[in-house]
Amino acid sequence: MNPALAGVALAVVVGAVVAGSARNARSAILGLVASLLFSPFLADPTAQSLGLAARLVGSVLAGYLLWIAARGTGVRTGGSRLGWPAEVLVAAAAAVVGYSSHGLGAPPLGPALAQAAGFALAALSMTAIANGRDIVRVGTGLMLLASGALLVRTALGGTPEPLEQVVIAGMMAALGGAVAVLAVSARAEGVEFELAPDRPSRVRRSPDAHPIDAR
Amino acid sequence: MSLAAYLAVTLGFAMLALATRSRGPLSTAIGLAGLVAATIAATTMNPADLVTIGGAGLATSAYVRLFLVLGSLVGLGLAVTGLATGTRRDAPMVTLATLGIAGLTLTLTDPRAAVVAATAGGLFGVWLTLAPGEDRSGATLGIRELRAVVVAGTMAIAATAWIGRDLTQLAAQPVVFGLAYLAFALAIAVRFGAIPFHLWAARLTDAAPETALPIITVLAPASLAIVGLAWTDASIAPLLVDLEAERMVVLAIAVASIVLASLAALVQDDLEHVVGYSIVGDAGVVLLAMAVLEPTGWEPARIWILVFIVTRSAFAAWAGGIRAVFHTGRIDDLRGWVTRSPILAVAFVLVVAAGVGLPGLVAFEARSSLVSLALDGPIATLVLLGTFAPLAYYARLLAIGLGRPTRPTEPATGWRPHLERLDLTSPVAWLRTTWDLNRAFSAAVIAAMLGVLALATSVGAFGGPDAAAGIPAILEGPSPSYAPPPLESGPPSFEPIPTR
Repeated sequence: MNPALAGVALAVVVGAVVAGSARNARSAILGLVASLLFSPFLADPTAQSLGLAARLVGSVLAGYLLWIAARGTGVRTGGSRLGWPAEVLVAAAAAVVGYSSHGLGAPPLGPALAQAAGFALAALSMTAIANGRDIVRVGTGLMLLASGALLVRTALGGTPEPLEQVVIAGMMAALGGAVAVLAVSARAEGVEFELAPDRPSRVRRSPDAHPIDAR
Repeated sequence: MSLAAYLAVTLGFAMLALATRSRGPLSTAIGLAGLVAATIAATTMNPADLVTIGGAGLATSAYVRLFLVLGSLVGLGLAVTGLATGTRRDAPMVTLATLGIAGLTLTLTDPRAAVVAATAGGLFGVWLTLAPGEDRSGATLGIRELRAVVVAGTMAIAATAWIGRDLTQLAAQPVVFGLAYLAFALAIAVRFGAIPFHLWAARLTDAAPETALPIITVLAPASLAIVGLAWTDASIAPLLVDLEAERMVVLAIAVASIVLASLAALVQDDLEHVVGYSIVGDAGVVLLAMAVLEPTGWEPARIWILVFIVTRSAFAAWAGGIRAVFHTGRIDDLRGWVTRSPILAVAFVLVVAAGVGLPGLVAFEARSSLVSLALDGPIATLVLLGTFAPLAYYARLLAIGLGRPTRPTEPATGWRPHLERLDLTSPVAWLRTTWDLNRAFSAAVIAAMLGVLALATSVGAFGGPDAAAGIPAILEGPSPSYAPPPLESGPPSFEPIPTR
């Protein structure tokens, strides 16, 4: 096992645990950004500089947009109801599964640690996506899931080409931007990032541009 | 490279529109100008461009060009209709971004990168769920849409990564290929909001204007579906592996979507949901194509996707036109719409003819081919009959339209053009007044124009069948590329792996 890669994998997973369990929104975002920033380094051979730079820029941009959405002091998000130790155990179990099933039935082209970290991120994202009750928590889960899938892709298919890295960077930045836009909108009602309760019946919203006046 | 020009135009104008978002009219004008420029850029695209960057590449084709030309045209039509009928101010920007990413998705020669791009293309739709005064509920709908897009993208990424390598030493072929195929097919189903994954799409219809729906649930997922078809043809179909169980799951979703979505559209009481479910129903035919797993399904599937995009967009524009004339989308309040807006009646006939089709039309033949290739025996006949189920909700709308008007609130002349005397001292005010007076007329005319476009696509104009029959460019290099086998030469891409 390459110790440097192991360190990177550990950083990716620790960042994801913080993102999934922190109740302070900005702490969660910091954890997410750390996880996203280390992810592209979890490859063997290391990605080419163009692709690597694109991934770093994409991750920073995504994190920055989320950071803006969570401006203010003590902004809260859902966090983990089980607490970070439970999240660590979930991540560790998933990482063991990922590491031991490296290749998923065929010779892999990437490192086993990438698959381990990818499985850990995917496992950590599940509760946030399925049970998250606020925009930032669900959004964080979605970003972890996407990042986990991309790590598994690296583990199976090898280091992505620079063009693919650029596309991945764009996708992650767009995902961060989309979550940030939704988070800002949710906060506009003064209830932080909470999801709206389901309505019993349909409500037709009026358009916001060029409304038609009833004649 | 002509593709670079298209990407620069679409994404550049989208970013400009985003940057000027706080200045509503300016942002809208930039968005519309961008859509006009995108249409021109798509029309002038060279269909044989191939650029390699490292081991990956970008390649255009006649089909990509046609997809982008039609997509840009319907995007422009829907944006203008939206202005006339009421829409989200971000609609032109989202349309441009979606078109740009669709162009990137369809030209990437590595399917592993293409599915990432297709996922990115679906992310912009969240802007259309947001409306002032409805922030939290709009954001809630948006995050649910985002969840569907990302979960679908993750499945597609996993599927392409699993198959996109040397699998000659694979230990468990049927399981791997079956799961990968199923994951990609389900990803497409989720993106289209196919039944039973339709909940997010149904809720989206509550929030997004009808003229914006095709951008989110037709145009963006269509690019993923085209990637999926190419990937399946290149990676799954040539293999002699028993995938019958997985096929059955995909077929069940496809047939459920075709039949149940039409029934759902029939019982809705507002046009937005009729449009939404009509999209789901036609998307079922696309899923049927995913279950064909034969090279012969390649051409009809790609023809149907083009028809699907244009026809559903024209139907959405028609619904927008109805709203502009009647100020409502409630079907019960639309009695007499045929006599009150003859232009919309013409648009409706065109949409029905293009969508349902007649024997001899390319769209009709494509849909029939897909049904017969995917299914056998009496079930195929039943499903083919099921593809005519949209006639039920069309007939209901027509019956309402031919009924006696119950609402005397609208003048019967509202659909006609109105021209004010030109005021040279205040041309801007004159333009604004003229536009306001002609909103209903403009929306109806655009719906009719999109109806003509839909019928032309359904007939096979613009070289659709030839473009759809073409195969994606093959990129030489280490990255896997789409290489569906030519029909006459059999499947050369993969060595058949015997079933254990």
